[in-house]
Amino acid sequence: MRDLLLQALFSGVLVGAYYTLITLGLAIVFGAMKIINVVHGDLVLLGGFMAYVAEQKLHINPVLAIPLSAIVVCIAAFVVYLLVSRIREDRELNSLMLTFGLAIIFGNLYLIVFSADIRSSNNAWFQQGVVIGDFLYSSRAQICTLVGGIAATVLVWLWLSRSRYGIAIRAVSSNREAAMLMGMNPRSAELLSFLIAALLATVAGAAVYTTAVIQPTLGYDITIKAFVITVLAGLGSVPGIMLASMLIGIAEALTATFASSALQDLIGFGLFLVVLVVRPAGLFGASGREA
Amino acid sequence: MKTLLGVLCAVLAAASVAAIFHTNGYILGLFVAALTIAGVALAWALLGNLGGMISLGHAAFFGVGGYASAILAKSAGWPVLLAIPSAGVVAAMASLVMLPILRLRGAYFALAVLAYAEVFRILATEASGLTGGAAGLLSIPRIPSGVFGLSDGIVAYSLVVGLVVLLAVCYDRVRRSYSGLALRAMQDSEAATSVLGVPVFRLKATMLLLSAFATGVFGAFNAHVIGFLQPDYAFSGDWSILPMVAAIFGGYRTVTGPIVGAIAIYLLDQLVFKNLVPQGHQIVLGILLCAMILFSPRGLVPIITRGRSAVSKDKDARHVAA
Repeated sequence: MRDLLLQALFSGVLVGAYYTLITLGLAIVFGAMKIINVVHGDLVLLGGFMAYVAEQKLHINPVLAIPLSAIVVCIAAFVVYLLVSRIREDRELNSLMLTFGLAIIFGNLYLIVFSADIRSSNNAWFQQGVVIGDFLYSSRAQICTLVGGIAATVLVWLWLSRSRYGIAIRAVSSNREAAMLMGMNPRSAELLSFLIAALLATVAGAAVYTTAVIQPTLGYDITIKAFVITVLAGLGSVPGIMLASMLIGIAEALTATFASSALQDLIGFGLFLVVLVVRPAGLFGASGREA
Repeated sequence: MKTLLGVLCAVLAAASVAAIFHTNGYILGLFVAALTIAGVALAWALLGNLGGMISLGHAAFFGVGGYASAILAKSAGWPVLLAIPSAGVVAAMASLVMLPILRLRGAYFALAVLAYAEVFRILATEASGLTGGAAGLLSIPRIPSGVFGLSDGIVAYSLVVGLVVLLAVCYDRVRRSYSGLALRAMQDSEAATSVLGVPVFRLKATMLLLSAFATGVFGAFNAHVIGFLQPDYAFSGDWSILPMVAAIFGGYRTVTGPIVGAIAIYLLDQLVFKNLVPQGHQIVLGILLCAMILFSPRGLVPIITRGRSAVSKDKDARHVAA
């Protein structure tokens, strides 16, 4: 029983690291542009498919291929940004619908190019089990994801709080007009947020390809999950995103272990709706999102 | 008077379609499906246009309506024609759980509804005693046929035409009523309208209930036409996407727009796109949606927050970077 509980907590943390990777990108764009980029999950999936192409067609290790995949994902993100930035009026809802439309396009493109088959890594190194303290089971790929998730969180946090560009993004996000008056170009800050999100999506894509399976409709699920966690965490806190990701990961793992795996998605949505209603600013955020 | 004329035209057009295609079950079936989408598109537009709320999860109501009607007719033995409106009531009741999210801002509301649709889908899968679980419900009672010696297709077709026309007339009534005026005012400024004594929340809630009811009715109708239900089918994202694209394509600020849009989009999708791109034909819907938003945003997507943008701007100012 104790082992079972500890294993569930451990698995939750491992999944939480992956959730952190998929959520950070969505949250950065959301913070910088105030838009919900529905296509983000499909960019993660693009990273996943690039990892697949690298491994199965080019015979490159999917993790080493991340720089290559990043180029493709960044180009895709750049195109998305160009389209989104064309929207002038009622940006919040129009961009929601535009990226929703783009997500439909991406999802169907994957279906056309890669067919509906389920793909996963056949690299034995990644699938190798890692046992910690005799009873905590995981795979090497999951440990890599955990390390990657923590590293990404720390880097993004430092970058946003310390670097010149990070501060510019935060300035544009908190007051676009004032930032412009201070001589910043909000467009380059927004584009930068898209590119950073694309990099994170590439890493997340490699993570999902090596730890789990990918298929064309996965992008939608990823977006929903990332949105749920963004809402749970609330805006304004990078570590908050990691905590919320871990929270969801652990809640799901506990549900799957002690109740039923079919109910694990319900727990996430349940938390999401409760937080939306009871604490609209999110668990770690500070601002309102009411009408 | 204008409405009456419109209704008359619609009925005449419908009758001629029926007369031309009554021997071709496939084409008539396509029209039945297109009009089902049209009904949902109209219900979606009612919420978007009058209520000022964009929903990305109308599949929630569609699925609930379908399941409610199928269960009432199959397990409780209700007559199909009674089960369909009752299913609308059940869908409206299901929308009551969404009342707390009515106060959320646009994009949050849209995605929260989507989350509800997912919750409903999971519940339908889990409550296998009632819904048959993932395997679904088979041999759901069909729309009664043989009235006046008419064929199945024609009865279903007439019924769906009647439902769409009825919804269009109701929609138009609401739009012209005092409440419609209040709702329009509300979209300019919710705060100002509520200061004038308009019960903003109650009006928005009414629109949500009405939209859910109508969507549920069409979901129920569809269940009895198709004859089987599975959670992944009944709550499929298609029931959210198609009506939305159709309504935006046709112009969701009008009553006829969503109907025309749905017929055009559905027939194009089934007869043209599906043949051009057998797998992944929905890509065209995505392209259409993007093109509409990019090149013809005015009149398509909300002027809903036209007046509100000034208010939301200073709210946005309080956001900090993630």
